[in-house]
Amino acid sequence: MNALREVLALLSVFVVPAILVGFPLYGLFRRVPVYETFVEGAKDGFNVAVRIIPYLVAILFAIAMFRASGAMDFLVDVLNPVLRPLGFPGEVLPMAIIRPLTGSGSAGLVVDMISRYGEDSILVKMAAVMFGSSETTFYVIAVYFGAINIKRTRHAISAGLTADIAAALLAVWIVRLFYG
Amino acid sequence: MLNYIWAGLIVSSLLFAVGYDVRDMRLDRYRNGEPLPVELAFPEGYDSAARRVPVQVMINGDEYGRLYGTEARPQRRYFGYLSTSQEGAQVRFEAGSAFPEPLATIARISKSNEDELQGTLVTFTAPESLQSSPGSSASEALLVAPATVRFEPVRFVKITAISAAAIEFAQTAAEIALSLVGVMSLFLGMLKIGEASGVIFALVKLVRPILRPLFPEVPADHPALGMIALNITANVFGLGNAATPFGIKAMEELQKLNPSDDTATNPMVMLLAINTASIQLVPPVLLLALMGLQINQLIFPIIITTSLSLLVAIVAAKLYAKLPSVRASDPNRNPSGFASTP
Repeated sequence: MNALREVLALLSVFVVPAILVGFPLYGLFRRVPVYETFVEGAKDGFNVAVRIIPYLVAILFAIAMFRASGAMDFLVDVLNPVLRPLGFPGEVLPMAIIRPLTGSGSAGLVVDMISRYGEDSILVKMAAVMFGSSETTFYVIAVYFGAINIKRTRHAISAGLTADIAAALLAVWIVRLFYG
Repeated sequence: MLNYIWAGLIVSSLLFAVGYDVRDMRLDRYRNGEPLPVELAFPEGYDSAARRVPVQVMINGDEYGRLYGTEARPQRRYFGYLSTSQEGAQVRFEAGSAFPEPLATIARISKSNEDELQGTLVTFTAPESLQSSPGSSASEALLVAPATVRFEPVRFVKITAISAAAIEFAQTAAEIALSLVGVMSLFLGMLKIGEASGVIFALVKLVRPILRPLFPEVPADHPALGMIALNITANVFGLGNAATPFGIKAMEELQKLNPSDDTATNPMVMLLAINTASIQLVPPVLLLALMGLQINQLIFPIIITTSLSLLVAIVAAKLYAKLPSVRASDPNRNPSGFASTP
């Protein structure tokens, strides 16, 4: 387990330098005007960032309102009795709901749970695995589709949320399998 | 679907906020207008002419609980000062004091310009003689006087909170987007070199056998496959900063194949599903920072969970694409129908 971790950590150190050095070097070799080409491509960075602003604002403010209104806590209370029979502890339910909505919010939740249940608790492990094994679905949708002005998302949200639900259930079951 | 989820979030926020505020009003949770009994101690003596006198505010826990109908108890002693002006005398608690609910919420509303909890003195008998406060030695004897303090009325807490949250996060969203500019430019520049020099096309050849079944709609030699490969590689190694520009570039390439302007194609949804499922083998830096060495125990559960959920994402994206309603909206099947449907 440790060896795998070491190898992955080592490889991940070299991915970015490989791109940053490898691409221009290969470009030089192929007689591409590398500096001009780089600047040409980099010009788009600002445009892309500006283009996604309206999409991000739309998603993030709605989620922030939902959290501030107390609706999130209500949702947790309602879903709790449904999920208990599946072996899903109510304490990690907020994590499952918040994870697809906000990345910083779910990180805050991990911190909160560590202080409440202790670092060694199985609940914290479940929440941490949930955090590490899924992405902020709504943010990803806003950024990726925002960049190309896609407004009709078709089955993207249902597919993303299906994966999120699967990840939440799997996190609970697998952590229980390892440490239960 | 996004339309309904989005509107649902906003409308339900309003309904819940109004609901909670009406409940608070009916229960009079903040006891608006009812003064809180306290004892004021003057460590440096009391001078009725002074505009600002340091004071220790002692709140009796049981009286506090009875007034607000709560089990929570405040600290025995808060530091602050007594401020006298034309409007009367006010007690101000030191900024940053920790209060239990509902006083904590009151402190967010009833505050001075310096963020101190502030209340108007209703009844107050100026201390006359030196008394020894119970439980302290004679050397710590203080001037003590009973008093009652009234705070500003608290209403519509949740309604105020949702408006504040909306405005705060609108700003956060723009900050997040703009904070991407630098890294985005760096990697988009590199990608341009990659395209011009042919690295991307070499990569396409390499990953074609793996990615073709997932993206059958993309032509075999299309650069989109190369961008997707870079996006997935960056994700696997937990390099979110690099993965985003690659993913956006891949989306732009896929958009070139899209007959419609604003409707997602099947390969776009597949790429998105892969990205939302997250395919990190290296745990995110943030989680490492939060969990420390505990992460060693979690690395295997995370890898298993993330691989299985990736599988679910791919299967879901494929299956949902076969649903009649989803099929009908596919821009590649029915390009002409698009202009007419809103």
